[in-house]
Amino acid sequence: MPDTSRVIVVGAGIAGLTAALHLAERGLRPLVLEADERCGGRLKGGPQVVLNHAGQTWRFGTEHGVHGIWSPYRNLQAMWARHGIRPVLVPARGEEWVLGAGRIIRRAEVGRAIRESWVPAPFHYLGLFARPRFLAMVTLPDIFAMAAVLATLLAALSIDPLAEEQPLAGMTLKDFCRGWTPTLVAFFAGLARNALPDNPRDMPASGFVAFLRFYTLLRRDAWAFSYLPTNGGASVIEPMASVLSAQGGQVITRACVMQLDHQPNGWRVTWQQNGESHSAQAEHVILAMDAPSVEALLRANPDTSEVAARLRLPAGRRTATVRLWFDRAPRPPRSEAGILTGDFTLHNFFWLSRIYDEYIRWSRSTGGSALEAHIYGPPQLIAEPDASLLARAIVDVNRAWPGLKRHLIHSVLARNDATHTLFQVGLPDEHLGVVTPWPRLFCCGDWVRDRSPAMFLERACVTGVKAANAVLTELGLEAWPLLPYPQPEPLARQFELSMYQIRKSMRWLR
Amino acid sequence: MGITTTHYWTNLIRLLRGDRVLEPLVASYCVTPYCNLNCRYCEDYGARRNASAQTQPLPLAEAKRLLTIIRQAADSLIFTGGEPLLYPDFDSMAAFARQDLRFRSLTLLSNSTLLPNHLDVLRYLTRLVISLDTVDAQAWDQTLRAEPGTAQTVINTIDSIAQSKPKRLTLIVHCVLAPETLPQARDVLDFCTARGILFSCSPQSVNNWPRYELMVAEDYAAFIAHLIELKQHGAPILGSLPYLRLMLDLQPYPCYPLLMPRVLPDGSLAYPCRPIERGGTAHGGRINLLECGSWAEAMRRAVSHYGLPPLTCGSCYQQCYVEPSLMQAQPLALLREVVSFPLSQRADIRTFAPG
Repeated sequence: MPDTSRVIVVGAGIAGLTAALHLAERGLRPLVLEADERCGGRLKGGPQVVLNHAGQTWRFGTEHGVHGIWSPYRNLQAMWARHGIRPVLVPARGEEWVLGAGRIIRRAEVGRAIRESWVPAPFHYLGLFARPRFLAMVTLPDIFAMAAVLATLLAALSIDPLAEEQPLAGMTLKDFCRGWTPTLVAFFAGLARNALPDNPRDMPASGFVAFLRFYTLLRRDAWAFSYLPTNGGASVIEPMASVLSAQGGQVITRACVMQLDHQPNGWRVTWQQNGESHSAQAEHVILAMDAPSVEALLRANPDTSEVAARLRLPAGRRTATVRLWFDRAPRPPRSEAGILTGDFTLHNFFWLSRIYDEYIRWSRSTGGSALEAHIYGPPQLIAEPDASLLARAIVDVNRAWPGLKRHLIHSVLARNDATHTLFQVGLPDEHLGVVTPWPRLFCCGDWVRDRSPAMFLERACVTGVKAANAVLTELGLEAWPLLPYPQPEPLARQFELSMYQIRKSMRWLR
Repeated sequence: MGITTTHYWTNLIRLLRGDRVLEPLVASYCVTPYCNLNCRYCEDYGARRNASAQTQPLPLAEAKRLLTIIRQAADSLIFTGGEPLLYPDFDSMAAFARQDLRFRSLTLLSNSTLLPNHLDVLRYLTRLVISLDTVDAQAWDQTLRAEPGTAQTVINTIDSIAQSKPKRLTLIVHCVLAPETLPQARDVLDFCTARGILFSCSPQSVNNWPRYELMVAEDYAAFIAHLIELKQHGAPILGSLPYLRLMLDLQPYPCYPLLMPRVLPDGSLAYPCRPIERGGTAHGGRINLLECGSWAEAMRRAVSHYGLPPLTCGSCYQQCYVEPSLMQAQPLALLREVVSFPLSQRADIRTFAPG
């Protein structure tokens, strides 16, 4: 085990591996410390599920539940392509919105309607109203409330919380969506929930506006996305770790960092592994863990605790993932994923038997189907026993897809630690950025303050590259350029400029 | 009205109905997996992969039967490889395609090293596409990883064909834009312009994506912007304006891979497209056209087994899929191409720029 290293990266999720890869490509030999037994963070693979079905034994991977690679994830995909590890992604065909109210279940395809809308951005959501199934889901008050929805979306065009470092303090999605009906609030919260895992009352407005602007508001095709062809661990994380090793980097798993001691020439990092304490000296340290872990580490160390006490980092949310196997497929076949709103316990769903390789092969062979569904809260619901959560999930699925009743053959519930960031923009002196208040200590991750519009996996990647660049610059090495994002559609750009001017003049009037 | 035009209109109606199973506008037949050059950026074939080629070329009789099946779906065909001229009976195959099957458009993609021995084949072709990334013979030899002098032979062949101006044959030089040869792409463009040869280009692809070093290079963006400007002023540049703009900023695009189906050397159709078929996932694979006996049956089996083709896939930016998809999805852009540019330079629905 090395006693000295020029750079130590703490955390081997997408952000940490990205930073380490970019350093290794410049000839450094970063040491990556990962507390878990597997690399990947929210993209890591989980234990295998063994299913005996139709006279055969089938094995399936499990995971946290991150599947989508959106078209604006340009730097992430460019990095994978550069290293020859970009998997052949599975293009999303459509996303379904399922609305439950007692025995009445209504559903409509919404994903394609948004990204293929004939109405240019930012008004492309109006294309939904040309869809009879969508119209059948909404009520007259919902249609009248569309004026308020459009007004809110235009307001979102006037402000870029990330570029302006505007926290929209105290505002939640609920405040931002005044005048909307509960159905429309639930619909938009459903679209955003994978990135912002909370209920509308607690979803930070700055995070929601940043989400809207990055994923959908400025361009119709920003909502175009694909799925990983199998679990994130196997499809991208393990290949990334292999490339890193081949380039001279080293990853140590089950290494839980306990202490950071500031030294004249950098930092001494102490970690626990299998009950033993180890330490190493590094010129530079990059913290690439989830926000709660970074906050805990910085507050626990004398060298950083004083400043860290003032930090307000985004919270993490505990979530649960349910996987259900059926001996038949839902009829008729619909979109491979979607959102559930109304009185459902479940929030998102993915038909893995139409996305993941191993599930498709099983499905083709046996005629079965497999569903993954996510539960994002509230906390008291997540705290319920496994049996209770599973029972709720099965009841929901039986309601949404009655044809699958009595066809369940296996179920698995997985609980995820509070590592799923509830993203929000903080004030510069409270929210850690890539460059921290401490010398030679940098941060990266999807929660890190940065002016880039990127969100979620792309944000982890972009901040990972920026953290690597900060180290490279200090060492006098060449930094990595980042790919820009496509410009907004012309109409959206025009409205963006106009709304920004209006906002500025209103401030002047005040 | 030819079959391609009929297919274009049929496809427009299908798109309006949300149907993604579209009829082909042009088919691409990879005659042989073997190549006599070893271009360093080649991701699919190349001499270094000759020994491990997974598919073998068909005997001439079988190849003719295959062409007959392809003709059921398309009247425009692109012969590609490997190096198609390594196929022992290529001249007979091209003659059969042109004279017996009456393909309206026949394109040959070749490195041209063997062309001097096959000059007769030119009379069956409507377009000849020769790869050339630089007019510096020494640098081109290094890219090709070939014997010294190979590149000069290629340049001489291009020169000689350009001077002889064969009737009904359009000569196109295709340039792969790589970071190493990007500065020389302008020389290739000048070389083509001076000789009245059509110029076409595509960014080097790595893992199905344009190479990162290109995408972050200001020179690349400047060159593409220069091409757009030149094309708008009537320069002989192949590739529609929407395609060139897409190559500039890599926007997502609606992809309809069945518009240009690729047939592999053993007669199998790469469904829904080559990148997905090569990926080896459950979402795509091969359907043997000879076993199916007809194009319609092959498509029926492919859709039934692998499912509908994707849309807005984002898995690749390869010109052969991008341009037909853009032209099919944007009829007004196609109309603009037709109105603005001469026949040989525009993104005609059966003669897209090679990728």
